[in-house]
Parts: sequence; C-alpha cells; structure tokens
Amino acid sequence: MKKKTITSLLIILAVIICLIIAQRTLDSFSLRILNLSGVYIIFAVSMNLINGFTGQLTLGHAGFIAVGAYTYSLLIMDSDLKQMNFFLKPLISPLDTLQLGFFPAMIIAGLLAALTGFLVGAPALRLRGDYLAIATLGFGEIIRIIFTNTQSITNGSLGLKGIPKPDNFFFIKMDNSLMWWIWVAAIITVVFHLLLIDSSYGRAFKAIREDEKAAQAMGVSLFKHKVMAMVISSFFAGIGGALLASLIGTIDPLMFRFTLTYNILLIVVIGGMGSTSGATISAIVVTVLMEALRFLDQGFLGLPELPGLRMVVFAILLLIVVLFYPKGIMGNEELTWSKLRRLFGKPFAAKEVNR
Amino acid sequence: MFKKRIAWLLLIAFLIITLTVSGCGGNNQSAGGGKQEQQNEATGTEEDVIKIGVFEPMTGANAAGGAMEVEGIQLANELYPEVLGKKIKLVIADNKSDKVEAANAVTRLIEKEKVVAIIGSWGSSFSMAAGPIAKDNQIPVVAASATNPLVTLGNDFYFRVCFIDPFQGRVMANYVYNELGARKAAIIKEVSNDYAVGLAKFFTDTFTELTGDPNCIVANVDYQTGDQEFSAQIQTAAQAKPDVIFAPGNFTESALIIKQAREQGVNIPICGGDTWEAPEFLEIGGKAVEGAVFSTFFTSEVPITEESEKFLNEYRKKYNQEPSSVAALGYDAYLVIRAAIEKAGSADPVKVRDEIAKTKDFVGAAGIITLDENGDAVKSAVLKKVQDGKFVYQTTIEP
Repeated sequence: MKKKTITSLLIILAVIICLIIAQRTLDSFSLRILNLSGVYIIFAVSMNLINGFTGQLTLGHAGFIAVGAYTYSLLIMDSDLKQMNFFLKPLISPLDTLQLGFFPAMIIAGLLAALTGFLVGAPALRLRGDYLAIATLGFGEIIRIIFTNTQSITNGSLGLKGIPKPDNFFFIKMDNSLMWWIWVAAIITVVFHLLLIDSSYGRAFKAIREDEKAAQAMGVSLFKHKVMAMVISSFFAGIGGALLASLIGTIDPLMFRFTLTYNILLIVVIGGMGSTSGATISAIVVTVLMEALRFLDQGFLGLPELPGLRMVVFAILLLIVVLFYPKGIMGNEELTWSKLRRLFGKPFAAKEVNR
Repeated sequence: MFKKRIAWLLLIAFLIITLTVSGCGGNNQSAGGGKQEQQNEATGTEEDVIKIGVFEPMTGANAAGGAMEVEGIQLANELYPEVLGKKIKLVIADNKSDKVEAANAVTRLIEKEKVVAIIGSWGSSFSMAAGPIAKDNQIPVVAASATNPLVTLGNDFYFRVCFIDPFQGRVMANYVYNELGARKAAIIKEVSNDYAVGLAKFFTDTFTELTGDPNCIVANVDYQTGDQEFSAQIQTAAQAKPDVIFAPGNFTESALIIKQAREQGVNIPICGGDTWEAPEFLEIGGKAVEGAVFSTFFTSEVPITEESEKFLNEYRKKYNQEPSSVAALGYDAYLVIRAAIEKAGSADPVKVRDEIAKTKDFVGAAGIITLDENGDAVKSAVLKKVQDGKFVYQTTIEP
C-alpha cells in the first residue's frame, strides 16, 4: 500500500516536472493543445464515473459543463465587461456588479453544476438503460435551451466574450497560470477518482454496474449511490466547464450541444468504459491527434488542399481502435506498473518463444 | 495477440509519422508544407511569401457558408496574387463549426504558419473565439460576414467588411415603416441565433422610434433552430393583428414559417434578413415565399462598383454559378488586407492593422467600405424581394 502511494506521488511529480518543461519550451499553440487536453481529461474522467464505473449511460454532460462555464463567466467578469456584453438586455442585479476571484468562481461553478446534477439525476436515475440515456440527453438540451432564452442572465444566443484568464495561481503571479489551474485540477480529478473507485463507494458503484439486483440484495442503496456518482461527476464537469470558458474566453449556448457530450463519450469509449487511466490517456490522444492531423487538410505530399480529410483519417483510426480493442484502450482496468512492463516486455518474450 | 501487436505498431507508427510531419518543431516545418514548401525553397526563402490565414468552417454544421466564403477569398487571391512584389499565400484552416477548434485553428495560423493577417470566420461565435488570441498576438483579423456587434467591440485587432446587425435592423424598420406603411409589427425570431436576436432588437428600437408608439411591437415570439412546426407562434402573432411580421432567422425555418402562415390564411407581408438569401429558402417556401422582402449585403444583378463587375465576371467564369453575398464579402476581406499591406509597405502585422483601421472609401465587390472606430464597415444595404421564384433586387439603401 505504501509503495503504491510513493509511486503515485512520483508520477504526479513527474507530470509536474513535465509541465514545467513544457511551459518553458512549448509555443502558445502547443500549450493551448496541452491545456485543452487537461480540460478534456477532467470531462472524460468525470463522465467515466457515472457512465463507466456506475454503468449508467447518461448523456447530459454538456449541460453540466454549460452550467459550470456560465456560472464561472458571470462571476469572474467585471461590471464594465458585463455592460459591454449585455448590450441588448442588461444583466439582472446582483450579478451585474458581483465579481469574485478565480478560485471561488471555479468552485461555485462546480457546486452549481453539482446541484444541477442532483436535480437532473434524482428523477432521471430512476430510469435504466436507453430510457436513462434519452432522459439525460433531454435534460442536457433543456439546460442549453434555458440558457438560450434567459437573455438577462446569460445574454442568450449572443454569448459572452472577453472572459478573463486568471493571472495568478493561488496568489502567485505567473505567466501561464491558467495552465497550472487546468493541470492541477486535472491531476486532482484523476487522483480523486482513483481514490474514490478504490473506496467502498467505488465498489458499490461497480457492484451497481455489474448487477443492480445483486447489489441491492447486498445492501447497496441504488438511488443513493447513483445520485452520488451523478453529483460528483457533474461537479467535476462544472469545474471543467469553468476552465474551458477561461481557456477559450468566450462561450455561447451552441457550444454545449449534445455533440460536446458525444465528443466526451467518444473519449471515454476509446479509453475504456470504467478506466480512469484509459480516459486520461485517450483524452490526451484524441485532443492531440485532432490537431496533429491538421496537416492532412492543408495538402501534404503534393496532394491538393482538402478540408475535412483529417476527419476521415480520424474516423479510420477510430475504426482501428474499435476493431482491435472493442473495450477501448484500457478496457475496464487501470494502467499499472506491472501492466506497462508486460506491454513492452511481452513482444520480445514472445519472439524468443517463437524461435 | 499477434493482430493486436500489429495494431499497436500501426498506431504508434502512424502517431510518429503524424507528429514528425505536422512539425512539432515550430518554425522549421520542412516536411509540413509538402510541395508548396519545396517550391519556396527552390525560388528563394520564406521571405518571398506573405501568408494570409483563413479560418472558416469547412466541415460541420456551417460548412456550406464557410465554403462560399472561401470561394470568394480564393478568387481574390487568384486575381490579386501579389503584394509588395511578393506572393500572397493563403493558409486555410478548418474550424469544424466549433468554437474550441476555431481558437485552435487561429492559434495555429499565428504560431505555426506565422501569418500576417487572418480572414474569418463565417459565424460570429467562431470569430469571437478567435478575437482574444488575435489581440494578444497582435495579428489583425478581418471578418467577412460576422455580423454580431460583439465581434469587434473592445478588440482593436478585429475588423469586418460587412455591416452589423444594428444597421440591418434599422434598414428593415425603415422599410416597413416607409414603404409598407406599417404601424404595428409582430416579431417571430430564432432565439438560439445571435444574429436573429440582434436583428429583432434593433428592428424593435428603430420601429418604436419611428412610430413613436411604445406598443408598436404587438407580438414577440420565439422559436428554436431546427423547429418544424410554427402554428403556435403564427397564431400568437396573427391574433395581435400586426401590419407586418418581421421574422429574422435561418432560411429553412423562415421558409417554413412563411409557408405555414400562408396556409393558415395569414396574408400580411413577412420580412427578414440576409440569411434568407439561399436557394433552399425558395425550394422549401415555394409559392408561399413570393413577395417576401429582406435586406442583404450584395446583389449580382446590379453591380455596385467597378470591382463588383470584375468579381461577378470572374466568379461566374471560375465557379459557373451566381455568387452569394458572403463570397463577395470574403473577396472584399482579402482585398482590404492586401491594400493595407501595400499601404503599410511591409508585412508587419501591427503596421498592417493600423492601415486596415484607416480603410476609407475602399472600393470592394460588395460596396464601398469605410471602417468606423469599432472596425465595423459602414456601407450600403440591398433590399431584395422574392418574385417568380427568384431573388429580385429592389433598392439600395445608403447608411
């Protein structure tokens, strides 16, 4: 147990060192992709909790992200900025003058998203399977449509722009403080989920996934645990939404269509339903790949420019993954040291046997 | 097991190729540009090329709009391929009709491609995502058809060659007040579309001012993008007995609204904005949309300027069809940037920005462009009417 803690801490340290190096050496484009990966890690890992571990197919993630993004934006913008944005209909008080720091705004964003998660989850999680998926998809869209229509709170379809980036990281002034916020949040998200899955709650979640009736017979409260998973999941989605808003600097309701949910679901499925490390890996791979494939669009090796080619290639890559790894990169297992050793050690071992 | 290993190897090999080809090295992208780059090496150094970035939705929901705009830009590039004795190279980046991708695309254009200026994008929300990045990196951006006032507001590096929603709303209010003699209007707007919401608001403001009657808007109803059934909205609007219905929104939904209104026996005039100018509007609306009036940027029937004539001829020659407004605007955006580079005498983005900001009485294909202090174009609007299944030019309205 102790050995495990030490290795975990070492990994976190390694990640932080990598980030420091990245911050010093990478240009702003690569840093942006790095940050986006961090945000998607938060989205994917949190969605995996309810979809992968608890086995409840919910598709309302975009709605919770929207709640987080809007809450954060409305809390962090100053009154001048709000006045500029709300030129059609003024923002209702007290929101028009209220301004908080980055950290409280982000936490409140998460809490409000969690509350929304509870309000959506409590009735919807009584459903199962397809019905649950449809109901949550509907709730996600409802959230978006409410945001479109409440113009005096969210500025409706005009969206908000000029959302400021944080200029400090826990009161330390830094150049790329947003990167630190995003990645610290991502690390906390991953660690929290790993610990949660290892706890008794996590076992209850998995028990529900495997067999609801058996779990219930063993004394696991279905409703309590499902709602708990949903609330935690939406809390982190809200945090991620806040960070996304801060990263892009502008939001509007159309950003939070169900396609956003599908994008995250795609990451979760590629990574493996029920694997936090899988979701993490696949969030990075998918985000980086989408950008790295951009050269395909711009005409390469003498081919003419063909916008959209990268989507085709991306789809082929997905096919390869789905064909050879129907359970995703990691299945429902976690990446461990012994697994890594097996992965890289085995081909050579196998070769020797063949000889 | 063997298969799996092959899959892994394939994936890893692909990743490595991708990463090397896409050029993680920043400036040194020897392999990235492929043919184009080799040509440059043959003729000289990178210095001989001035790069202008274009970020447009080439895939996704708004791909059609983005493609039309790119057509105009590419045509302009063909007709005016050089500035200051150097070739202008367009670098087109797809933003996938997605805000996050739009921000990525623009960062890429600035960081990796080192563009001097950027054109884009169809869809105000994508432009808004690009705004802060352009501002931070001090690269001027000229939007072709982004009409949301927020795009340029508070951003010294963002400009546009189209008029903004407030002007269009005013034009339509003036038209229904003066030409149609309307004193009471109903609004049916696509509430999930920033453009429609803005238009409706400015129409209301001007119309209230003109009539002097705070209750001149007798009904104000909303619908969502993708709705199919509008009887409730039409009922509400018709019961208030307006003289005219103003229905800004997407062409599909608007055509359906007009069709359903006519079926319900609502025969008052229905007006809208530039989004209606799409073949689908006529196809879906059929006979019902006859007589519908809307404002737009440009007409191919009556050339507005000399440049329009050149544009129209060349466009018809190249693409064998009638150009849309956004194609003309994309064309203009390119010309404005090119003229600014010429005047600045260098490809320094900040100097180019200063020259773009000074643009005055610039003769473009879609009218004469003067940029105001916000970077918005002050230019004339065109009114069109549907007659015999065609968009027919009515009149030009000066700002």
